[in-house]
Amino acid sequence: MPSLKVDGRSLSASDGQTILDAARAAGIEIPTLCWYPKLPTVGNCRICLVSVEGQGKLIPACATKVADGMVVTTQSHAAVENRKGVLRLLAERYPADHLRNGGRGGASPRNEFERYLVQYDVVPTAVETRDLPLRSGDERPGDPMIRHDMSTCILCTRCVRACEDIQVVGVLDVGYRGEHAEIIVGADGDPDKAGCTWCGECVRVCPTGAIFEVMPRQRFAPQQIRHPEKVVRSVCPYCGVGCQVDLHVAGNQVIRVTSPDIELDTPNQGSTCVKGRFGYDFPQHRDRLTRPLIRKGWTKEGGRWIWKGPQGAERRAGPWRTIEGEGRRAKPGTPPRATGKRVRELPLLERLDMDIRDRVATPDDWYSPFREGSWEEALELTAQEMLRIKAERGHDALACFSSAKCSNEENYLMMRMFRGALGTNNVDHCTRLCHSTSVAAMQRAINTAAASGSMREIEQACDVIFIAGANTTESHPVFGAALKRAHEKRAKLVVADPRRTELAGRADIHLQMQPGTDVALYSAMLNHILRLGLENRDFIAKRTHDFEKVREAVKPYTPDKAAKITGIPADTIRRAAETYARGPNTSTLWAMGLTQHANGTDIVTSLLNLMFACGMIGRWGAAMLPVRGQNNVQGASDVGAIPFVYTDYQPVGDQQVRARFARTWGVPADALSLKKGLMVTEVVKPESGVRGMYIMGENPVISDPDIAHAEHWFQELEFLAVQDLFLTETARYADVVLPGASFAEKTGTFVNTERRIQVSHKAVDSPGEARGDFEILMDLTNRLGLPTKFRVAEDVMQEIAQVTPSWAGVTYDRLEGAGLQYPVPTPDHPGTAFLFDEDFPTTDGRATFVAVEYTDPVELPDDEYPFVMNTGRQLYHWHTGTMTRRASGLDAREPTAIVEIHPDDASLLGVREGDLVRLTSRRNSMVSAARISERVAPGQVFVPFHYREAAANLLTNPVLDPYAKMAELKVCAVRIERA
Amino acid sequence: MTQSVSHGEDYQPVFDGKIMDELQTVLQRYPTKQAALLPTLWIAQREHGWISDRIMAEVAEVLGLTPAYVKGVVTFYTMYHQHPVGKNFVQVCTTSPCNICGAEAVMKALLEQTGAQDAGATSADGKWTIVEVECLGACGFATPVLVNDDFLESVTPEKVPEIVKKYR
Ligand code: SF4
Ligand code: SF4
Ligand code: FES
Ligand code: FES
Repeated sequence: MPSLKVDGRSLSASDGQTILDAARAAGIEIPTLCWYPKLPTVGNCRICLVSVEGQGKLIPACATKVADGMVVTTQSHAAVENRKGVLRLLAERYPADHLRNGGRGGASPRNEFERYLVQYDVVPTAVETRDLPLRSGDERPGDPMIRHDMSTCILCTRCVRACEDIQVVGVLDVGYRGEHAEIIVGADGDPDKAGCTWCGECVRVCPTGAIFEVMPRQRFAPQQIRHPEKVVRSVCPYCGVGCQVDLHVAGNQVIRVTSPDIELDTPNQGSTCVKGRFGYDFPQHRDRLTRPLIRKGWTKEGGRWIWKGPQGAERRAGPWRTIEGEGRRAKPGTPPRATGKRVRELPLLERLDMDIRDRVATPDDWYSPFREGSWEEALELTAQEMLRIKAERGHDALACFSSAKCSNEENYLMMRMFRGALGTNNVDHCTRLCHSTSVAAMQRAINTAAASGSMREIEQACDVIFIAGANTTESHPVFGAALKRAHEKRAKLVVADPRRTELAGRADIHLQMQPGTDVALYSAMLNHILRLGLENRDFIAKRTHDFEKVREAVKPYTPDKAAKITGIPADTIRRAAETYARGPNTSTLWAMGLTQHANGTDIVTSLLNLMFACGMIGRWGAAMLPVRGQNNVQGASDVGAIPFVYTDYQPVGDQQVRARFARTWGVPADALSLKKGLMVTEVVKPESGVRGMYIMGENPVISDPDIAHAEHWFQELEFLAVQDLFLTETARYADVVLPGASFAEKTGTFVNTERRIQVSHKAVDSPGEARGDFEILMDLTNRLGLPTKFRVAEDVMQEIAQVTPSWAGVTYDRLEGAGLQYPVPTPDHPGTAFLFDEDFPTTDGRATFVAVEYTDPVELPDDEYPFVMNTGRQLYHWHTGTMTRRASGLDAREPTAIVEIHPDDASLLGVREGDLVRLTSRRNSMVSAARISERVAPGQVFVPFHYREAAANLLTNPVLDPYAKMAELKVCAVRIERA
Repeated sequence: MTQSVSHGEDYQPVFDGKIMDELQTVLQRYPTKQAALLPTLWIAQREHGWISDRIMAEVAEVLGLTPAYVKGVVTFYTMYHQHPVGKNFVQVCTTSPCNICGAEAVMKALLEQTGAQDAGATSADGKWTIVEVECLGACGFATPVLVNDDFLESVTPEKVPEIVKKYR
């Protein structure tokens, strides 16, 4: 370990550290401009030069490794003079007239670079007296989120490296040379064509604001932006990566979002994606509900609420089209996207002839069936009707959809209310349409339901990344970037996906299979591995059961046979199998592409079989990662918002468990039902017997399969209460709509995809009378007869910790900072980065192999319905669009519904980019605009499910997985015509 | 990396058929894609005459580089044309030694007799673009002139008509 002296202080450095690293570790400041933590060092700005004894010239601290015995002076006369020289030269091309008057005293620096100018007393020359013109460059004109003012660029190239090395995109570079050098965007200035994802990493690293975010500048004064009233640490409300974000607040509004320091230990390591950084303005949308809404027709007589409105079909009618009606209707065509166009011609927010938000936002007349009411009225009516239905029709005539968007505390309160006060286990949330099949398969094999490892281990220690049915760069972009970095550095990448997603395009091996043929593929991979003897016999022998059954089951699935089923060449399957098995550390990732099938549980099981047979679990670098969708889908399940378990997956049918919960909640044990409840997909069936529903923050009228039926079902209910931010497509059918709080308006904890519990703090107050979901649920629970006295969310966490063994050591204090990865069984337990190094949580500690057989997807294409339709997400939108379509920047990028069609199919059908097409499945039909794209294979179409006006789920097949009751959302057969 | 979207425009790719085969042989000579960029751009320029934004994007796609990287390289060098040039691209050294020996007059004669009029502009018939360049390394044979790939030495205004005739 070399030691050195910096400014008279003796320091020791580790091998390979630079002078700058050592100085920073000791808190000694050396100015830097081109250097940025974690970015490759280029050493081009020369502001960090320091004097080193015995060296004739000054040395760049950022680019010089420490040598033993070095004596460094950071503020020597020579170094300081040199720095001033560097700054003077840079300032010669920089508009800094505002810094001219008075130097240190009068000037007010606006950014990192200007702070150095002031600190080193550099007085810039007046702009008009200079010979050199200010710089220019590609400026992203009209961009809704990110623009450039290249006159302030100092060519440090941080942005170029951030885009290339952190995000692994490479939109930016330095073009031209000498005094003409400038930052360029792609080949023609169009960020879209250069693959920009609008992540804003370039915004974050730029030291001068040459690359800046547009939205705050359009809405707030520079002073407000520079000096927010407070900055609050929160958790991004979108995906399961669980990025920590800092909300800047002024005047009770979130004015901008930044990401935490890149060197802090956060799941996002300082990055965010476009949604996290720019999708924060939906809570300020004019559609926000600020007072409870009560359907007109409810009146109070003699102390009771009575329905006086129309009966029958008119009962829940309103001046809107059904989703079906809207789907079938022709709509304004989509403005052609950036493809082949210059940025100037892009149809962005400012350029559209109609405000996008008028098309997607809540139409004014949707409010007409409602009147505004007080909280007292709304909650009284809700409590009265729920208790009435319970008395008249039994406990199980009530059901709730809890929310993977709400905190652990809120989900716990919800399930506590339904179980403790109403005596039913009909509690579920959107996990049913997400990873329920993974949970079923993992429970069956190893009695657990969460990821075994951590996201960061992929970058640190994984040799082969196997990704199945996960479009990570769009659905979990920050994790996607980490995967790309891992791939660039060392790891091989194998992607199994019917679509040529970005990761598939980069992969060493892309297994482009026919949708739904996964079991055949993974069985064939295992078949080949066994033939070559590449399986991990030791692992199989010591840590598993029933391997022989699987060995038999995969026998018929030779790579040649699988090639016929999957459409992947047999050799590619062999190569993938060998790569997977040889590892040495292979991580296995999967998401909706595997789970959303009617045989999803079997598909995941066959992947788990492959994983166990190769022993690819339980080591740092060999992780099992089902990538979670919603930011709290893991937590909502962990705290028991699913129909068959309490917290920590303790079964509802277990008497002892029941007794413990009854005691904690202060209810008699037999008030809690031992019967498993109904799942989301079962509730919405006529035979479910459910007559009253409470929905918190979910929008099943868009997200359920075969919506036309679901929408009808909701209209037939006796009572429906919806708690949400907006009058959603579901809420419009409600009797009572309770305005909740957005992510920025409340404190609570969330669990990300790697079991990390993090706390998100309240930044602003809710608008009007909107209330935190915590307060709403507390009030209602009390009204339903279960006395509940939590003061704040933290109190709820204390109770959760009491009844949840693997969270027993969790307290809010311990969650500050990076949070804790559960299991955290005791107050001094540090959390668990990866699981199963020794055994599995089964009775004998072993994993069980389960033999599965391949079955065709339920619907295969035929002459009448020749295309296979696949559904999924887009980068800029989130699920049913309730939030993102009201976030101005995101919506400007992806304003209208589209369907992706392969160019070959498009030319056969005579369809051009932007043309309207009609998609028809055996269930329904809808009209959407074509986007011609090679990402889909010929014969397949891809429909994002975010759009009310062209809802993918009108067409999807509601057949259910027998174990998890997951619907076949990923495959159905459709016909396409020009509309 | 560019997402491979279809371009929805009438763009005729440069690297197709025979040219693609040629590229494959060229690629084998280089250890990395970055290293192969310069020769790839040469081929593109040879085939298309100049390198448009769109061709930079195509080169990026076939080599698996980013469009910005390709543009950075194209714009760094002076010998890749970013605008259409005439069939004959003529480079005249006008650096000091050649200048003293009469390079200006050679330049003037070329401009007049080809109809290109201004340095860097292209003649109306599309045949000629004449540019001034720095030292061509033939100071002893002033004035050197490069017509496409042909190196002509000791050019004087008197020799210009012959040159114009030969390459017309
Ligand atoms: S735009 Fe900003 S980050 Fe990029 S080179 Fe210029 S000053 Fe540096
Ligand atoms: S927004 Fe992200 S992808 Fe786009 S240029 Fe900036 S860093 Fe690159
Ligand atoms: S910070 Fe060291 S050279 Fe720029
Ligand atoms: S100066 Fe003209 S060739 Fe050198």
